[in-house]
Amino acid sequence: MTRLLTVAVNSLLAAGLYAEMAYGLAVIYGVMRIINLAHAGIMMLGAYVTLTLFSRFGVDPFLAFFLVGPLFLAFGMALYRTVVRRLPRGGGAPTMGSLLLLFGVWLVLQNFAYLVWSGDTQSILTSYTMRSVSLLGVRVGVPSLLVFAASGASLLFLNLLLRTTYLGKAIRAVTQNRDAALLAGIDAEMISAVAFGLGCAFAGVAGGMLSTLYAFTPDFGRSFLLKSFCIIVLGGMESVTGVAAGALVLAVVENTLAVYTSVPISFQDAITFAILFAALVALPEGLSGLFARAPRLRGAR
Amino acid sequence: MSRLGAAAAAAAALAALGAPLLLGRGTLNDLWNLAFAVILASSWNILGGFAGQVSLGYSAFLGIGAYTTVLLSLRGLDPFATLVPGALLAAVFSVVVGLPGFRLRGPYFTIATIGVGEAVRVAASSVSFTGGSSGVRMPAGSFDFGRNYLAMVGLAIAAVAVAALVRRSAFGRALAAIRQDVDGAEALGVDSTRYKLAAHALSAALVALAGGLYAINFQYIAPGAVFDFRLSLSIVLMPIVGGIGTIVGPLLGALVVSTIQLKLLELPALRDSYLFIYGGLLIVVILFEPKGLVGLAGRLLAALRRASAPPRTAGAG
Repeated sequence: MTRLLTVAVNSLLAAGLYAEMAYGLAVIYGVMRIINLAHAGIMMLGAYVTLTLFSRFGVDPFLAFFLVGPLFLAFGMALYRTVVRRLPRGGGAPTMGSLLLLFGVWLVLQNFAYLVWSGDTQSILTSYTMRSVSLLGVRVGVPSLLVFAASGASLLFLNLLLRTTYLGKAIRAVTQNRDAALLAGIDAEMISAVAFGLGCAFAGVAGGMLSTLYAFTPDFGRSFLLKSFCIIVLGGMESVTGVAAGALVLAVVENTLAVYTSVPISFQDAITFAILFAALVALPEGLSGLFARAPRLRGAR
Repeated sequence: MSRLGAAAAAAAALAALGAPLLLGRGTLNDLWNLAFAVILASSWNILGGFAGQVSLGYSAFLGIGAYTTVLLSLRGLDPFATLVPGALLAAVFSVVVGLPGFRLRGPYFTIATIGVGEAVRVAASSVSFTGGSSGVRMPAGSFDFGRNYLAMVGLAIAAVAVAALVRRSAFGRALAAIRQDVDGAEALGVDSTRYKLAAHALSAALVALAGGLYAINFQYIAPGAVFDFRLSLSIVLMPIVGGIGTIVGPLLGALVVSTIQLKLLELPALRDSYLFIYGGLLIVVILFEPKGLVGLAGRLLAALRRASAPPRTAGAG
């Protein structure tokens, strides 16, 4: 029973973080049909910016998010205006060119981090890093709780933005049908820039969150990119709820395996990857496809 | 390939094979590296260029070849005899990965291959029979650089020849059809998965052979070296810089990238900037000349021809 609770609590906490990092990938894919391969690099940069704010200026990492978010929004929009916009559009499917271009951006960001912060392993140690509290009888670290709260808050904010503001509605409209959105007079170019910025902002903040939980180097982020990709494949690429559901599934599988089996932690990437393959082969439409299929089957009978 | 091109290729191949008679060890080492790069680039190009399936996980095949060679040599086999099982193993592994992997199209396949590379590297550092993350050493007394050089150059010539043959064959035309329009190819009766699997297996086997020769020459391998993501990266970079999907492109790309690796990055000022250079190259090529150096040369030639041709009189006739 305690083991079950451990899995439940840890999965929920991990899912918050996972949703935060996967959303950054999902919004860019939704609006532009581009897979942002620089996502891992931006998460890494977010971790280092959070570290610098903490060690140089004494800003608490969780307050730093209020700076990191806008900073990476601006960075993402600038990146879109200078580089990404110049790509030839591939219509419905993401192009190889966009993938390789953003791969190049990732490498450049990595090298930038090596030059500025060196290749040494870094971590953020606050007064509460080692503190833990008891939750339903399970010991959980204070940073994990704070990460969960922060990502919950930012996803709620995002949901509000997408549902109530013009900007949010325009983002959703372009995601659903770019041509129809253009016909309705939406400036799709501007929305693309904002969406790219928003994706980078979420990636940057997710990187900041990771920095409070794990040690990091400029090479860091590849396995989190893989996890993010797995989540958006599971959850479907469009909705916030889908991303949250995908994050939860991945977190539950990982934590269940960690608690009930002796699979070493170093095999986590392989597990993520196995889930990804299983999902792609069994559920090409993601989890939402599963739910959408059920009523159809019932109707057929 | 034109008759002139074939003659030039044959001359270059003979020169490379005869080089040990004239050149010193340092230059031969550079040529060995170039041959290694040519094999990787040309083999990757069979799947990535001809069929348009860009994989970022090719270090897995290189590592499988290298590890098979070292582990079997340690059990008493002749190092060169271990190349064949290594290639077969890599081909089998490529099919195992490809069966689910090729259900994915384009960029989705590419992301999945990052996962393959990572998973194999982690597995190789975690299990015990590979020597874990500290790596394994070849048995002593099996080193002969002259032989290693000829083997690597010979394999490079063979790899380029295989790529050229594939491109001209019905197999190559099927791959081209898949690259241009996979649904259209299917509609014409091309079993796209089977062709992709075959191209994947062929290129994986060639890369694994190169990995085995690498192990024979370096005598020591570790997961951090042969399964490195950076290796997968330079394998992809070479054909893209040179001209993806062509025969000459990967050769040019291998020349450029291995020159950067051996000369430019040896400079102390640039040692820490190779990701800038690689990433920058990738960005510049994709934005300005997606067909790489071959495309650039084509454009220059066309411009020259236009400049030298007498201007046509407008409105003649």
